[in-house]
Amino acid sequence: MRTRATVSVGEELPELARVVTREDVKAYADAGGDQNPLHQDDAVARSVGFPGIVAHGMFTMGHMAAAIVAWAGEPDAVLHVSAQFRAPVFMGETIVAGGRVRSIEDPAAIAVLETWVRVERDGRTEWPVKKGEARVRLA
Amino acid sequence: MNPAAEGTTYPAVPFIVDPSRVAAFRALFEITEGVPPTFVTAAEFAALPQVVADRHLDLDFSRVVHGSQAYGFRRPLREGEELAVRARIESIRMRGGNGFVTIAMDLEDADGVVVCTARSQMIERAAGG
Repeated sequence: MRTRATVSVGEELPELARVVTREDVKAYADAGGDQNPLHQDDAVARSVGFPGIVAHGMFTMGHMAAAIVAWAGEPDAVLHVSAQFRAPVFMGETIVAGGRVRSIEDPAAIAVLETWVRVERDGRTEWPVKKGEARVRLA
Repeated sequence: MNPAAEGTTYPAVPFIVDPSRVAAFRALFEITEGVPPTFVTAAEFAALPQVVADRHLDLDFSRVVHGSQAYGFRRPLREGEELAVRARIESIRMRGGNGFVTIAMDLEDADGVVVCTARSQMIERAAGG
């Protein structure tokens, strides 16, 4: 677990990048239980206006949580995590999760993080998660 | 969607924190130990069918997108434990033909302690839009 003395307000979390693949999204559907065809069937995704299947919002949030857990040191330190879903994520894209320490609550020693997930698309930055948040217990 | 369904509560659904599913989650997100925080989504999907099937709520799931998600933990989930998942319709707002529903779920352990509360905001997009 990360210790209070080593954490300061404004500190950035190391960014975590991953390429989103069809195989991983299918594995996510099986593990998480969301078998919506929007995430597995290109024809269904096209019928609602997407170029192909989109990753689950919870896939993207799971990746964001992985970046938080990596910083926190262990999943048990995560007291709260939330995300608003903004932009879809398509197969083959690279999602990048990041964050920074917004404040620290003492004496409870809880770090409040603002977090995000971004993707570069057609020369622009899109935000699958623009305003995520987490509360992490420090030792 | 029917705004009058705000406040509806649903019977508890049992959910086991299956170690093999937890392991699959860890592998997928390269988390080395413990239960990943967003694994709670699996418990939500265990309790969601009765919400989707609720004719009073009348949520058209084929038009639903996931708006936001939050998890708050009193303690981490433990692998192998059985939890009771209690769902409720916390709020419903209609704006511009779209319906915004917040489904809250409490995950209760064998001692009756709510170990986690999950909140999902689902957006039911306007029909024919």
